[in-house]
Amino acid sequence: MALPRRLPWDWYDGLVPESAILDDECHVESSYQFLLDRSQPPHGVRVHRGASVHGLTAFDLGPHGVLTFGAFSITNGAQFICDDEITIGSGSMVGWNTVVMDSRRVPVDPDARRAVLERVPVAEPRRLLGEVETAPVRIGSNAYIGFDVMVMPGVTVGDGAVVGSRSVVWNDVEPHTVVVGNPARIVRRLSADPAALVPTPDGPRAYDEVLSRGLDAGGEFLPRT
Amino acid sequence: MTWLDGTLPRNVRLGDNTVITGPDAFKRFHTQQDPGLVIGANCTMDLTHFSFQPDGLVEIGDWCVFASVVLMCEERITIGNHVAIGWNSYVMDSDFHPMEPVQRLADALACSPLGVAAGLERPAIPTKPVVIEDDVWIGPGCMIFKGVRIGAGSFIEPGSILTTDVPPRSRVVGNPAQVVGSV
Repeated sequence: MALPRRLPWDWYDGLVPESAILDDECHVESSYQFLLDRSQPPHGVRVHRGASVHGLTAFDLGPHGVLTFGAFSITNGAQFICDDEITIGSGSMVGWNTVVMDSRRVPVDPDARRAVLERVPVAEPRRLLGEVETAPVRIGSNAYIGFDVMVMPGVTVGDGAVVGSRSVVWNDVEPHTVVVGNPARIVRRLSADPAALVPTPDGPRAYDEVLSRGLDAGGEFLPRT
Repeated sequence: MTWLDGTLPRNVRLGDNTVITGPDAFKRFHTQQDPGLVIGANCTMDLTHFSFQPDGLVEIGDWCVFASVVLMCEERITIGNHVAIGWNSYVMDSDFHPMEPVQRLADALACSPLGVAAGLERPAIPTKPVVIEDDVWIGPGCMIFKGVRIGAGSFIEPGSILTTDVPPRSRVVGNPAQVVGSV
């Protein structure tokens, strides 16, 4: 599945770009989500087995962006500004209007920013080109990112963490904590029995094994955060 | 100088090489002012909503880039040159409904279908113009509330909620937003 292709259930009259690698057992709702995707192979969007990406989720990838949705992750109506690397772990969830960015796409210095903005109208496609420092974002496995959250460049969200709605995540989030606010801070710690059995389509798996090995069927697993 | 997804309303003035995209750009464009929206040259307005009430007037300079921004204008919003605004940010010059509880209830009734049919009048709602000066960057997920002036060159980090003025060349973060440095 490496050629531009039509999704049989698509409500938008478009094609999934060549750069995207979609597992046969994933669900990407629409090619509309790729409208802003400028990634060039070998970069692009990767959607693993059992993952679903719903609604008006936007893949805003620059030419070198790699955006990976881990196995059985669920994303709905979120925006990904990706010029470098953004990874969502197995079974994680990302809510509506959440923006995950690995770049601010503009320089902090106003004079430098002016020059970047003046290149937009002549760019093809007509977009900000992202000529600034980037920092990869990693969201672990079984994390839950609420509505309207901002995840800033360079952040790692640990396995099993929960990020409350409208939080702005500036710093790494410890595994199995609940964070809220701007800047997001820990308000609670969660506990999980590593040996607890989780029912999966392939049979029961220990919670810790799911976190460490992901939920892909083959040997290719996402790295643990 | 075009809106790619429809026919531009007559009271919109666009400068050379300015492009607006998105089917909903003018769905709530109710301003009776002429012009009601003025955008300079070389601007890129992707998926932006121009939600203006009858007296609203918005002026935007040259070389601006907006992505999925909601501009809600009852009175006046003025935006300079080289201003970039990121995903899901809102700029508004009104509270839209009264703060005072009795007035607010009266407003809710006046806005209801039965209130409209009965000709109930809405109470006065305070508005205050918003000014965003040249070279300002507003990151994704920000809100700029009524009466705010953002000084030239300022850098508004994602998720900031602005209720007060920002001096020029400030770096701003938080809810409520605070100046944490200069650029």
